[in-house]
Amino acid sequence: MLRPERLRELSLVIIIFAVLLLFGTQIDNYFNPRFFRTITSGVMIIAVVVVGETLVILTRNIDLSVGSIVGCTAYTVGRIVADNNSISPLSLILIAIGMGALLGLLNGVLVSYGRVPAIVVTLGTLALFRGALVEFSGAKSVTTSTLPVWLNDLGQINLFSVGPFDFRILVVPAIVVVIVFQLVLSLLPYGRRLYAIGSNPEAARFAGMPARRIVMIAYVLCGALSGLAGFMFLARFGNLTVVAAQGMELQVVAAAVVGGVSTLGGSGTMVGALLGAILIEIIGDSLIRLRISEFWKDASLGVFILLAVASDKIILGRVRDIAARNQRRLEQTPTQVAPQPKAQKDSAHVQ
Amino acid sequence: MTSQAKQLALEIRGISKRFDATQALDNVSLNLYAGEIHTLLGENGAGKSTLIKIMTGVQLPDQGEILLDGQPIRIENTAQAQHYGIAAIYQEPMTFPDLNVAENIFISHQHRGAIVNWPAMYKDAEDILSKLGVKLDVRSQARGLTLAAQQTLEIAKAISLKVRVLIMDEPTASLSAHEVLQLFNIVRTLRDQGVAILFISHRMDEVFQISDRITIFRDGKLISTDLANEVTPQSAIRDMVGREMGAFFVKDKSERGNLLLSVKDLAKEGVFTGVNFEIYQGEVLGFAGLVGAGRTDIALALFGAAPATGGEITFDGKAVTIQSPHQATQLGIAYVTEDRRGQGLVMPMSVAANMTLPMLRRYLNWLGLIRHRAENDTAEEYRKQLSIRAESIQLQASKLSGGNQQKVVLGKWLNTNPRLLILDEPTRGIDVGAKAEIHSIINKLAHQGMAIMMISSDLPEVLAMSDRILVMREGRQMGIFNREDATQETIITAAMGRANEVETAVK
Repeated sequence: MLRPERLRELSLVIIIFAVLLLFGTQIDNYFNPRFFRTITSGVMIIAVVVVGETLVILTRNIDLSVGSIVGCTAYTVGRIVADNNSISPLSLILIAIGMGALLGLLNGVLVSYGRVPAIVVTLGTLALFRGALVEFSGAKSVTTSTLPVWLNDLGQINLFSVGPFDFRILVVPAIVVVIVFQLVLSLLPYGRRLYAIGSNPEAARFAGMPARRIVMIAYVLCGALSGLAGFMFLARFGNLTVVAAQGMELQVVAAAVVGGVSTLGGSGTMVGALLGAILIEIIGDSLIRLRISEFWKDASLGVFILLAVASDKIILGRVRDIAARNQRRLEQTPTQVAPQPKAQKDSAHVQ
Repeated sequence: MTSQAKQLALEIRGISKRFDATQALDNVSLNLYAGEIHTLLGENGAGKSTLIKIMTGVQLPDQGEILLDGQPIRIENTAQAQHYGIAAIYQEPMTFPDLNVAENIFISHQHRGAIVNWPAMYKDAEDILSKLGVKLDVRSQARGLTLAAQQTLEIAKAISLKVRVLIMDEPTASLSAHEVLQLFNIVRTLRDQGVAILFISHRMDEVFQISDRITIFRDGKLISTDLANEVTPQSAIRDMVGREMGAFFVKDKSERGNLLLSVKDLAKEGVFTGVNFEIYQGEVLGFAGLVGAGRTDIALALFGAAPATGGEITFDGKAVTIQSPHQATQLGIAYVTEDRRGQGLVMPMSVAANMTLPMLRRYLNWLGLIRHRAENDTAEEYRKQLSIRAESIQLQASKLSGGNQQKVVLGKWLNTNPRLLILDEPTRGIDVGAKAEIHSIINKLAHQGMAIMMISSDLPEVLAMSDRILVMREGRQMGIFNREDATQETIITAAMGRANEVETAVK
């Protein structure tokens, strides 16, 4: 039987193709190499962040500060490398990840040990991280002219091409991150505990899980991945101001929710979140090509969040009911006595 | 099985625990033997739940110790309890709806290696379930499983943890008769494998069917521990209810007025059914029964908060269907909730603001603004009338003691001028002094001709305050007793059920 998660992923793939077909008929020369590049380089950054966000949302929490973390790390790392062009690529990436992890740790400690609601903590740090960046940067920008050559080239390196469509090298970290964390979710005990905590926090406590530590680690990982995304952001754009990646949290949360990660915790996959990121990126960029105002792009994100949540409640709820009914039938096959009101209702369905 | 010398599985020595005014456990000592089903019996609040919480590390005892294999152990959290082989199953199963059956069974395993071996996990899960004689798809989500299946899941989880002491806290409360039989077969299998089982149930027939040994609790004290075949239902009930009446206010006889409310065959699907009673003006009708017997649900149906699905309600001579609390308030029905914090009071708001909340429209001027003076006058009036001890009616409701909070809730609903007042556990968690005051208020209201429906799990209270007592058990009405004919024994027997039911229901 098809499980609800698989169903969600499958329907996302179908929707993505439907959307591509729809815009293809509306926009001349829709499928061109440049558009493909815009989509892939947009998705690869969002995808890394949404993987982190998914870890957090699975535990029935949220991280709204990811946009600020991406902006802070991108800008800071940009300044570091601008001041010292000889720094090695690896240490630069590690600095980005480490700084993101540190900012995530602050979120995680406040949420899990400080017992402050996640939405309050991360709304606060969203403003705090950004404010600190504006203050310390002295409102100066990072420009491509100050960056080393390898970093300016990094965003342009082509990994391979399918026909006229190029896959840039920065797609690699995104794909690796999605795969690695999908495996973490399905194969490591830590991943299963994330689901457990979001699914039934009280039962998790009764099962003797170190719930606070697990939630805190999710925030640290989310921060670290946002740091990595910050480095990718720098490599992609080169020119950065203090408002870099501002508002990215909206895209990230939208991608996760559209991708089937339940805001009530306990369900969702990395593959789904990636598909969600692809879908909203395609729609956003296509709307721009229709010469619709940039503001409509954000509005469409809002609509998609609402649609996704509503469909989750209605459609997935129905699918689960059916699955549950099948299960009950299986349980009751050997001996069907019980003249309980519930059982009667069921057998009425069976007949 | 029972005749052989038993091996001691767990020893509980001199455990005491105190919460504020209540001594929840008072120097309790208990031995649990391997391969034995040991049942705890007692009224709600007798201390059974507290003992379980201490055994599973949810709470720490004030005094006393727990010994395993003769060594004292300290259980500070559930993980430690599991480590010592102590697991608990509750009335509401603690499953993870989004995880599948196999994951639920093995969720607590810290030692399954770094990477989840799914095929092995599915196989182990199937092995455990088949040993229990249960058919379940180990790959399907736990969401949507029946309660019975979820209970089984919990038992399987306990087995996977190599449980030595399995605590089962009212596991049968939501199960059908057939499911109970299946559960009991599983429990007996476990016992025969040498697990010590601590079983809690309020259903007398079940207790005598499954127990090897029975311990009776009352008011936090262990009253007796005997082999099951040496205990009779009568002796058990006698031990459970032997409470003194204490300094209880006793309601005096008030004038029975006109018929106000009559309820015929009231039912709510899957909750209660076949409820018939009448309430007259100036009368207190007590509702006795165990927690979860459906008493609060009847109250919520009459108050329109969770409307009934069948039956007839006649209020003041007119047939009515009550669909919302608003409608009930209009009719003159008020409901004082058992859940003061959740549903009764807006804690951060002032006493005065809380009191006028249901009737706020009466306190508005022509601009739609609140007339604070009128509001304060009302609040002052009830403060005097109910002798609420608050420095000021502007004080936040959260600053008052439980008893005074309860009086504020009472005042709030009296302000709606109700003709039928429903009180749900009006004195729970309140100290003795405030309790007596509330009893005297109830008495006064009845004398003023108000009809009162009083739900209470406190047997002496029901007996002292009611003109008639309706007893509920598992959603069914077991009878209505006149105060003169009712004793603690007759009420608890009706509430818990015994082989030969009490049929002296007096109208």
